Amino acid sequence: MRFLLDLAWRDLRASGRRLWIFAACLVLGVSLVAAAGGLHRQVADALRQDAKLIFGGDVEIESAQPLPDDALDWMRGGATVSRVVELRTMLRTESGRAQLIELLSADAEYPLYGEVLLQPQGRLADSLALRDGQWGAAVDGALAQRIGLRPGDRIAIGELELTIRALVLRQPDRSLRADWGAAPVLVADGALMATGLVQPLSRVSYHYRVRTGQPATAWRDAFIAAYPALPAEVRSVDERSDRMAEVLGQIASGLLLIGFSALFIGGLGVFNSVRAYLQGKLTSLATLRALGLRDGRLAVFVLLQILLLAVLASATGAAIGTALALAGAQLVADRLPLTRVLHGLWQPALAAMLFGVLTALAFSLPALGRALSVSPAVLFRGVEGQSLHTPSAVRWLTAAVLVAMLQMLLFFLPDPRFGLAFVLATAALLAMLDLATRGLRRTAARLQHQAALPLPLQLALAGIQEPQSPLRTALLSLGSALTLLVACSLVVVTVLRTVNETVPTQAPALVFYDVQTEQIPLLGEILSSAHGLQAVRTAPLVLGRLIAVNGEGLQDSADGVRAREARDEHKLSDRSGNFDDVVIDRGAWWSEDHTGEPLVAMEDRESDQLGLKVGDRLRFDIMGQPIEARLAAIYSQRRMQSRLWLEGIFSDGVLDPFITRHVGAAWMPAEQTLDAQDRLAAVAPNIASARTESLLRETRALMGRASGGLALVAGVCLAASLLVLASVVAASRSRQVYDATVMHALGARHTLLRRVLVWEYLILAVVTACFASFAGSVLATGLLHWRLDSSPAGLYWTGLLTALCVSGLSLGLGARYLLSQMRLNPAQLLRSGG
Amino acid sequence: MPPTDTPLIEADGLFMHYAIGDRNVPVLRGVALRIGAGTRVAIAGPSGSGKTSLLLLLSGLEQPAAGRIRIAGTDLAELDADGRADLRRDQIGIVFQSFHLLPSLSALDNVSLPLQMAGARGAREAASKMLDRVGLADRLQHRPSQLSGGEQQRVAIARALVHRPRLLLADEPTGNLDDQTAESVRDLLFGLNREFGTTLVLVTHDLAFAARCDRVLRLHDGQLHEAIIDRPTEPFGALSP
Repeated sequence: MRFLLDLAWRDLRASGRRLWIFAACLVLGVSLVAAAGGLHRQVADALRQDAKLIFGGDVEIESAQPLPDDALDWMRGGATVSRVVELRTMLRTESGRAQLIELLSADAEYPLYGEVLLQPQGRLADSLALRDGQWGAAVDGALAQRIGLRPGDRIAIGELELTIRALVLRQPDRSLRADWGAAPVLVADGALMATGLVQPLSRVSYHYRVRTGQPATAWRDAFIAAYPALPAEVRSVDERSDRMAEVLGQIASGLLLIGFSALFIGGLGVFNSVRAYLQGKLTSLATLRALGLRDGRLAVFVLLQILLLAVLASATGAAIGTALALAGAQLVADRLPLTRVLHGLWQPALAAMLFGVLTALAFSLPALGRALSVSPAVLFRGVEGQSLHTPSAVRWLTAAVLVAMLQMLLFFLPDPRFGLAFVLATAALLAMLDLATRGLRRTAARLQHQAALPLPLQLALAGIQEPQSPLRTALLSLGSALTLLVACSLVVVTVLRTVNETVPTQAPALVFYDVQTEQIPLLGEILSSAHGLQAVRTAPLVLGRLIAVNGEGLQDSADGVRAREARDEHKLSDRSGNFDDVVIDRGAWWSEDHTGEPLVAMEDRESDQLGLKVGDRLRFDIMGQPIEARLAAIYSQRRMQSRLWLEGIFSDGVLDPFITRHVGAAWMPAEQTLDAQDRLAAVAPNIASARTESLLRETRALMGRASGGLALVAGVCLAASLLVLASVVAASRSRQVYDATVMHALGARHTLLRRVLVWEYLILAVVTACFASFAGSVLATGLLHWRLDSSPAGLYWTGLLTALCVSGLSLGLGARYLLSQMRLNPAQLLRSGG
Repeated sequence: MPPTDTPLIEADGLFMHYAIGDRNVPVLRGVALRIGAGTRVAIAGPSGSGKTSLLLLLSGLEQPAAGRIRIAGTDLAELDADGRADLRRDQIGIVFQSFHLLPSLSALDNVSLPLQMAGARGAREAASKMLDRVGLADRLQHRPSQLSGGEQQRVAIARALVHRPRLLLADEPTGNLDDQTAESVRDLLFGLNREFGTTLVLVTHDLAFAARCDRVLRLHDGQLHEAIIDRPTEPFGALSP
């Protein structure tokens, strides 16, 4: 064995750079898998460790009113309680600028876990306290930077003037959405009351966070049992972290699958590379066999070479991937207050390495088995014309390795559904590619003898029918990578179109919350002075709970999820004022002049969670009054175009007795919105307003980052496919040169030879681009419909163009390389030994 | 067509050498050759004597270091690469020891290729007739991998003759075949040569094959010598490598 290991190592070293594609393919794929796995592991471990910090406690009870004293006493019986009051409102600067914020009043116990880091350093309570007749505020660092606020500046919120005493550098429970919508501003309880914004029926939410020694779920269940009728949402940290882990698992699974795609594509490079390498070694293998090396030892000799290189390449990939994961975790840590957890990193690195070695084995074994079937007779008769075949035992072994890989894949992915989908999608892709290859070969066979076609094209069509033609591998490798690239481009272009065209032309420029009924004329009056104002619309907004379905009370349900659903507060409105364009999925809208029984349309997420069907009788609790209505329709939101995100829309008149607040929207030029917002905030400080433009700016910035990420991912897959293509070109070079030499000996000019090659690669480029364009479009359309409810209609040409350009460029480079290597050697044809 | 004195091939003072490392190894040293149209000539000699090099020069696939070659009155030195390719396409046919059929093409496509390259009309019909002539009328659509060695060589002979070349160069055409198949290929080659009146230059170790030619030339020490053969009792073993 030692002799074989030594021989294998020396032979491998003597092979120089001939297996560089093999190594590069593995390094690339393994590093992606290790990077995605390592990043997920770090973030998941940190989330698990810091879940209570991010959640703010073990249990949270959210209510629209302060909890009654008896409930508070019950809670304080065995736990520490902190109350945070939240309110979306406007902050006004001394210069008159207005900005939507999330106003938080924190009590002395806040935060229950972790600490708030301030600049200048100090205790939060001290910064917020009343001092010299002035209340203090701590403003989110990112918000302060955005609107140019510094400690010492004065701001106004509602009717109260405050002094900024500190900037918040780190807040353990800061919402991830803070960068999108309203950033947090912390004030004391007293300051909140002094703003005058907390009025009956205003949109204030009371969050009671609980720290307890008991298991969080048990405490939650005990509280619900003690106060079953309390109108409040109760959530435990486990529910929240389970949901976060689920989302994180889905993101990580997606990233890992891209790594596996690169590894799979790279596997084709491994196959080609090993096959070409062993083809050049056939005589050596035959010589070793002729010298008396037994079959088993010969197999070990070759297998050792493959394994040595696979382990080295995979270890390099795992090291690079781990470094990338660390860099990625650093980026995440800038946005999430997470502790770095490094000790679990070795597991994804080891798993990625194992995947690399298994991939190398799975894709090398067929070529290896084929090469080992060489007979020493080739030493006498020459290698040409030798029929080599992969023994069935090797096929079974390959299948076993593949099965092991698939099992590992399902085990390794945080969300096995993704793994299953990947396996099915890969199988479907392979089947489609096989069909495409067969179809193309059949078409080529039919077209080849068309006399009208130029001879180079006829010869190129003959070339792609050959079993050794790069058609299948090029389609498979470049086709898969281009499919991903086309899908990514289409998603990005569609979202950009929505952000840059659809939303700005259709969505209102300003949206208002918390408009009191008597403030509607004032709203119209202030906005009317804006140049180019097209419309102002308001819609009532009423909060209510769904308490019974077809007579069955949700609170009494044995199903915990259903019972807790009865505590959720829903945003309700009626149809006449609704300016959000929702999409009816089931049922139908009622006529505009409907005056009969009360009807309601519900959002699909809520309906599906409760298993509602059109026709169900629903009972709501609105301000203590029961309202019965028949479910007439179920709708979905238009995602990015959605502003109100209403959960229920009633027929007109049903909600009238309860309407005190409204939401509003104004359509006007984007450049007018800043002034309008400032003017409104000055006279009606309780009305919160959001500018679509600023939301779009954040969305565009996010899209920019996402596009960069997607481009990087697609680029890596493309790099993997280019490596494969390089192996294909290298492997087909000898065939191309041979064919060209024979034709040259028969009298073909160099021009004809070049044209044959150009035609062959042109056909490959067009077919690959068309295939990738089709598959990528299907993928992108599905994704966009599923996640964003939008369609890439009218943009499919961008996918085709991308595919044509990249495929043309890649294969053009391949053809150019081949042409430069086309050194004809007629002497190789005349082998009589003279 | 009987052999004539009109030379189809004229070669004078051919020199050729190969570079091995930093050393030039001479292969041909002043070879002179005149072969009349319709003549069948066998070139023999030990391995490494330069037979293949001479064939490469005569086909215009390589050029001599010194000396001149005229094929059918055309000086090869005056032709560029395309001109030499055209000369092969129109005037020369080559049969290789390892057949060298294009694996992606059927037998019919392989045979029609020289005519198609010349832009001739009815290329496939002519190729079909030629394949019929070599006994492969039922194998037209078969690819090389579906044919036996003997069949592949028949296709190669059909391809070499389909455009009615004036010169047929054959490099050990039976070297890869068993005795029985080799004999039938020999018969076919000579039969067609006689029928088409083609000039045949044959490189072979097969003395029985060489003995059927009008002339036998031996390459030795880079020079060509006429071998006197006394048919049929000449001890051909003397020509063996």
